[in-house]
Order: sequence, then structure tokens, then C-alpha cells
Amino acid sequence: MKNLNRRSFLGVAGGTAASLFLAACGGGSSSDGGSEAPAADGGEAAAGGSNLGVMLYTNVMSLDTDLATDGDSFEVIADCIDGLMQMDADGAAVPALAESYDLSDDGTVYTFHLRDAQWSNGTPVTANDFVFAWRRICQNAGEYAYMMDEIGNIKGAAAIVSGEQSDTTTLGVTAQDDKTLVVELEVPVSFFPSLMYFPTFYPINEEFYTGLEDGTYGTSPDTFLSCGAFVLSDYLPGTANLTVTKNPDYWNADAISLPGITYQVVGSSDSALTAFKNGSLDIVMVNGDQVAAVEADADLSQYLKVTGAGYMWYLSFSQTTNNAQGGMLANANLRLAISNAIDRESLVDNYVQDGSLATYTAVPPQFAASATTGEDFSADQTKFADFIGYDVERAQKFFEDAKKELGVDTFEFTMIYGNNEGDEVTKVAQAIKEQVEGALAGITLNLQGMTKAERLDKMQNDNYDVALTRWGPDYADPMTYLGMWITNNSNNYGFWSNAEYDKLIADCVTGAYITDYDARWAALYDAETLVMQEAVIAPLYTKANANLIAAGVEGVDFHPVALNRVYKTATKA
Amino acid sequence: MSKYILKRIGLALLTLFLIIFMLFVLVRIMPGNPFPSERMSAEQIANKRAEMGLDDPILVQFGRYLVGLAHGDFGKGTSLYYGAPIKTVLGQCIKNSFKIGGIAILMGTAVGLLLGITAALNKGTFIDGFCTVFSILGVCVPGYVFLIFLQYFLSYKVQLFPYFFDTSRFLYSSVLPATSLSLFTMSTVARFTRNEMVEVMDSDYVHLAESKGMYGSTLVLRHILRNALIPIVTVLAPLVVDLLTGALVIEKIYGINGIGKLMVDAIAGEGVDYNYVLALGILYSALYIGIMLAVDILYGVLDPRIRVATHRGEGREG
Repeated sequence: MKNLNRRSFLGVAGGTAASLFLAACGGGSSSDGGSEAPAADGGEAAAGGSNLGVMLYTNVMSLDTDLATDGDSFEVIADCIDGLMQMDADGAAVPALAESYDLSDDGTVYTFHLRDAQWSNGTPVTANDFVFAWRRICQNAGEYAYMMDEIGNIKGAAAIVSGEQSDTTTLGVTAQDDKTLVVELEVPVSFFPSLMYFPTFYPINEEFYTGLEDGTYGTSPDTFLSCGAFVLSDYLPGTANLTVTKNPDYWNADAISLPGITYQVVGSSDSALTAFKNGSLDIVMVNGDQVAAVEADADLSQYLKVTGAGYMWYLSFSQTTNNAQGGMLANANLRLAISNAIDRESLVDNYVQDGSLATYTAVPPQFAASATTGEDFSADQTKFADFIGYDVERAQKFFEDAKKELGVDTFEFTMIYGNNEGDEVTKVAQAIKEQVEGALAGITLNLQGMTKAERLDKMQNDNYDVALTRWGPDYADPMTYLGMWITNNSNNYGFWSNAEYDKLIADCVTGAYITDYDARWAALYDAETLVMQEAVIAPLYTKANANLIAAGVEGVDFHPVALNRVYKTATKA
Repeated sequence: MSKYILKRIGLALLTLFLIIFMLFVLVRIMPGNPFPSERMSAEQIANKRAEMGLDDPILVQFGRYLVGLAHGDFGKGTSLYYGAPIKTVLGQCIKNSFKIGGIAILMGTAVGLLLGITAALNKGTFIDGFCTVFSILGVCVPGYVFLIFLQYFLSYKVQLFPYFFDTSRFLYSSVLPATSLSLFTMSTVARFTRNEMVEVMDSDYVHLAESKGMYGSTLVLRHILRNALIPIVTVLAPLVVDLLTGALVIEKIYGINGIGKLMVDAIAGEGVDYNYVLALGILYSALYIGIMLAVDILYGVLDPRIRVATHRGEGREG
């Protein structure tokens, strides 16, 4: 090999490699370069400030109000589309696209008067946009169609959602003229105006929608119309980052200060924290493990803000004979024993650690306030202290009673939980196992982790003993929780049934109490008492989010219900 | 040669068909509810199932799926990006993954070849040792670890590159993920090139060529590298698919809207989205089969002996 001229060869090889690499880069830049400059500089400069950088925990699944089911999707939809009403800082419904509304004396006919507003293609927002959108929700009968019939009680909705009625014009929503929308209800619904800020009730421009290729609505900025504070400027399904930009034609554009919002999906909390520290993101969520570190850090702790996430975690007990050794958990004393053996404060302090609240009521605190007194339905967490609380002695007493009634001394149950539902869930499941087995000799609680979908599947098919599960409020009324425990409700995974309870709830929804707000409120409390007395479920904690909000960012509204974050009053220095 | 290629293509299509069939059946018989809904009534869910044709016999469903596939239609997601046609989402993800993967392949192959050739030509010296250590490190350290390392120093400590992928600055934000992705290819190519070249350089015909006075780039490029390339192409082929289909973890960490991240989301989301798993499975298989087919054909181009042998083989079979 002596003759080989290495130096001359290296020159050739090196040159080839370098030109290959340059060619690769050059090819890329010529196709992308064009779009680079305006997006990064032009957009921001024109608006006079920089976009708010916000972390999303999961991908935005859909911008179609008919298909979206997750909080992140709802948040982005609400950035871009207004409803008849919107949330104020306290979560109360205040006018948005509706300037005002009238309610008939019997409480069943709402007449909304629309203000002058326009879609991002310049066409005016009309009453027909609501009629079209709502009929579509009922006809497609997806996840949130139940807001139309079960919750909103809109006339004719139930028949369309169930498929019995195919004529959607039978829905009790009519456009009296371009600016007047009339909504007829089956019965008075006291919280109906607050439903109007939920994305399911947002408008869609019919002409625009029907002009699109099937299945493409909301899949890009070109196939989506805005009439809200922001317009969609960069989005594709599955994208990890998307941008909305201030809508100059918004009816309340003067009140919007942010030039835009750049959302970034961040898979891990560690990345989120680092991105916050180096200024890439202005609002991030951190997990329980990180909260302690953040609190200990003098510099970071000033940015920490804990907000209610709304979700209440609870234990569901299957009461059918298919499960739990032939239906052992149908015994109220056994359920009460387990519920009283759990140290909820320890769960939130040592395992969840993000500011979540130990919860001792079947309706969690902080989301449903009385319209007449303004008092939080569950402000008093001690009202059921006779039935729930960490009291090993009392738990053992309940357990002794249960053993006598059942004639059995040892119990072996399996508790299922989702291992993809948050970092803390597995730890909480293990803690519950230790606490229950430690307090009640004779109970073995086996753990079985699975995906959330599998957990739901097992619960819906009545194939579980105990489940660690959760429910987030869809609207600001205790009924979003209490409505679940009536006989045969699809969320009544324990199959508990109580005639007195069913009657109380029916009276609140369609019967005696629908026109008397305070009597209804009292009846809901009576219903909750029945749930707590028998430990139909064991409430555990109400989830919070630990956010870090950068200095100079003010006015972002956080809500535990419907829309988690609203940016209409937000400012960024 | 053309008969050989046609036969290869026929076999490839048959393999793909069988894979699609098996994937389809597996996905359909898997337990689990395609609509993990908490708010729909049993009636609504039944209507949705009927609408999607999930109650039809499995062969009918398969036939319908094939007809859709022939029109480039993969159907719709059931729990991921509900409602949007899969081809819309997939098309976008493929574009991103292929661009970044393409850069990584070119970078990895070019630098790898360069390193390998340099090491071979300097066998036994410090440079050779350095290349060997680099190759071992590159193969052992997973790409995503390298990405986190780069992210920490070049995006966090020194804010040279974006911390997350930014679609509006595609090339700029491709640097870190493409470099991390290319590391494995770079090392593998370097290692194989070095070993193959060392072997070829020691063979009789190279000694003969040298004794005839041939030297320098002519000898290396025409005689040594060409022979050394065959095994390199073999190892490179599956690596190309890996890179094109995106490294699962790298895309997830850096927030790249690519096929790898899509796969992770389809499996690890709130519910497994079987339609996406199926579509991605078909895409992966088609890519592998396509690349292997290309490699088979490329062998013939690179090495006349394979062409000749195939002709003889066909003769015997006939």
C-alpha cells in the first residue's frame, strides 16, 4: 500500500462528502427559505410584541367542535371562535356574540340577540351559523352531543341524537332573522347561559363548511374560519406546534392585547421546565415531583401558580354480582370501611404534590357556585365528616359490621388504574393499596395498571372490582357529577341504584324543582348526602395544575370547567 | 435482468399484500373498544360502529379497506385526530420525517464514508483509533441521548438552536435532530467501510493493480471502494428506512410532527388508534419492501457477478 497517495485521495473524498452535505442542505433551504423570514419576523413585528408561548400537554386532536373532546382542543377552538356567551374571570357567563338575551316567563325559550361580528372571510356571523352547527352536532351524535339533549334539554335534540328522528329541522333552534336566534328547551335549565361558552355550542359558517371537501373542515388554516379573538395561522392535524394570531376584525379587537399565541406540545415535564427556564415558553405545567424543586428555588418559585384543573379523582366500586367475590362491594359498610381507611391529605401531600385538594364531597369544590348566594356548592368539605375522613378506628368498625353482614372475613379485590393518565396515578394507586391493607386486616387490594381506554372498557363492561377513575366537570352545576349516579346512567360504573336518589335528581332536571333555584340547590345537597352516606364512590382529590407563568405575563384566566385557559385579557410585557 | 427485476417486484407486491391482510385481521380481532367514550350512550356507540362498518364480516371490511387503499385512502382515526382523513395527517408527517431523515442519511453516509476511508488508509495509526472509538460510541449511545445532550448545550446553555422543532424555521430547527439521527448511520457506515476497505486493500487484485502502477483516488474509488460498497449498501438499506420513518423518541422529544411521533401517539395516547397503527404498519412494510427491492437491484448494478449468477439461476429453474 506504500504507493497509495493518501493525501490526494483524502482531498477527493472530503470534497465529495462536503458537496453531498451542502447539496442536502442547499436543497432544503431553497424550498423552505421562502416561508422562513415572514413567519418569524414579519408577523411579530407587525403586531408590536412577541407571541405568548404556551405549553400543551397533548396534541390538539381536532378543531371541529363536533369531534373535539379534550381540553387542549377546546382551548384553541375558543381562541378562534366565540360562543353566544363567554366566561369572565370568575367563570360566569357574560355576553359574547350575543349582545343580550331574553328568557320567556316559563323559562323554556331563550331569544339571543346577536351583535355585528364577522368571520375571517368577511361574511357576517348570523343566527343561521348557530342553527347549522347545532343541528350538525345532534345529527353526528358524537361524544359531546349529550350537551344538546341530556344537559341543555333542547327541544327535539334527544330524538335526533338517538337516531330516531332524521329530520334535523325538528331541533328547537331557529333563526328568526340574521340577528335573532330562538332556542326552545323541553324544561327550564337554570345554567343554560353558561353552557353557551362551551365549544359544542359554537357557530360554524354553513356556506364555508359545505364548500369544503368532506372531512377537511378544521384541518388547516385554509379550512377553518374564525370569528373570535384570534385567527388560526399555523396548524395541521398532529402538529406539535401551532400558532394563532390576533384577529384584527374581532368585534372586541381593541380589548385584545396579545399579538398571538404559539402553542408547543411538550411530551415531558423536564423539557417543559427547561424550556421555561431558557425563555422558550411563557406558560408551562410542571408535575408534582418538580413542584418541590421549584418551590425550593427562590428564583423559580415566584412564577409558580396553582390553578384548579377541575378533575375529581375517585374510587368506583362495582356493586354487581359479576365482580368482587360475587358482589361483596354492594355492602355499604365495606365501601365505607375502605373510604375511611384512605388518608387523602397524605395522597395529595406526598404523592400528587402539585397543589391538588383532598376531597371529601361527591361534588368537588371550586367549580359550581349558587346563582343566588354565590356560595360554592362544596366549599364546606366537612359536611359529610360522619361518613368520610381518615379514621382507622372508624374504618375498622365499618369493616367489622361488613364482615358480620356478609359472613366473610377475608376479601381480595383488584383495583384497576390508568398508567397513562398522569405521572402520579400509579403512585396514588400504590399508596391506596398500602393504606387500605394496613388499616383493614383481611382485605387484599391487588393492583392492575392499564391504559385509560382499557380501564374505561373494563368499567363499561362491568368487569372490575375497584377502579381509580376521574371525572371533569363539563358545566358549572353540581349535576355534572350527581347526574351520574342515577339508575342506568352510562357513567354509573358501580351500578348503584336508589329510587329515592333517582327521584331527587329527576325533580331537579325535569320535575318539581326546575323553577325554584334554591329548592333545587337544596335537593342536590340531599342527593349528595345519599351518595356519601353509602360511599357509592370514594372521592379522593380534586386535581390542580401547577403552572409556571413568566414575568410580565398577566391576565390569563384559568378555569376548572369548560375552557381551562382564556387569553382575551392576557398581556405580555 | 428485466425478468429478474419483474420477478422481484411481483414477490414484493405479494409480500405486501400478505402483510396488509395479516395486519388488518390482527387489528380487527384485538380486544378493546374503538370508541373509548364516556358520554355517548350505548345506542350512539352502536350507530357509530355501524356507520364505520365495524359490524360487517371481516373479509367484507378487508375488501372495503383494499378498495380505499387503492385510492390512497386509509380511512379515519378513531381516537387520534378524530375525523381528519388519515392520509391528510400521514402525508404531513411523512413530509417532515423524510426531510429530516433525508438530511440525516446524506450527512451520516457522507461523514461515515469519509471517516471509514480515512481510518482504513491510516490503519493502525492514531486516526484509525479515533475513528474506531467514535464508531463504537456512535453505535452505543442512542440518538435521543445525543439529542438531549445537544439540546442542553446548544439550545439551553448557548441558545444557538431552537429548543423545540419550529415548522416555520424548518432547516434551522432540523440541525439538532438530523445530527442526532445521523450518528448511528455515521458510525455504522464508518465501521463497515473501514473493515471492508482494509480487507479489500489486502486482496491480490489490489496488490496487482498497485504493482501495475495504479495509485491514489483511481485505485481507491474504482477498485477498492466499489468492492467494499456491497456490504455497506446491505447494512445501509434498513438504516435508511429507520431514518426515513423517524426515530420514535427523537421526534417525540424535539416535538417534530413526523411519523415516529405519530406512531407513539397512536399507541400511547388515551386509546390505541387501530386505524393509525394499521396505516403506519402498512407504510413501514411498504418502505422496507421497497428499499430491499431497490437494494437487490442495486447489487446487480454494483456487482456484475450477481447479475451473471442470477441469469444462470434462472436458466436452471427454467
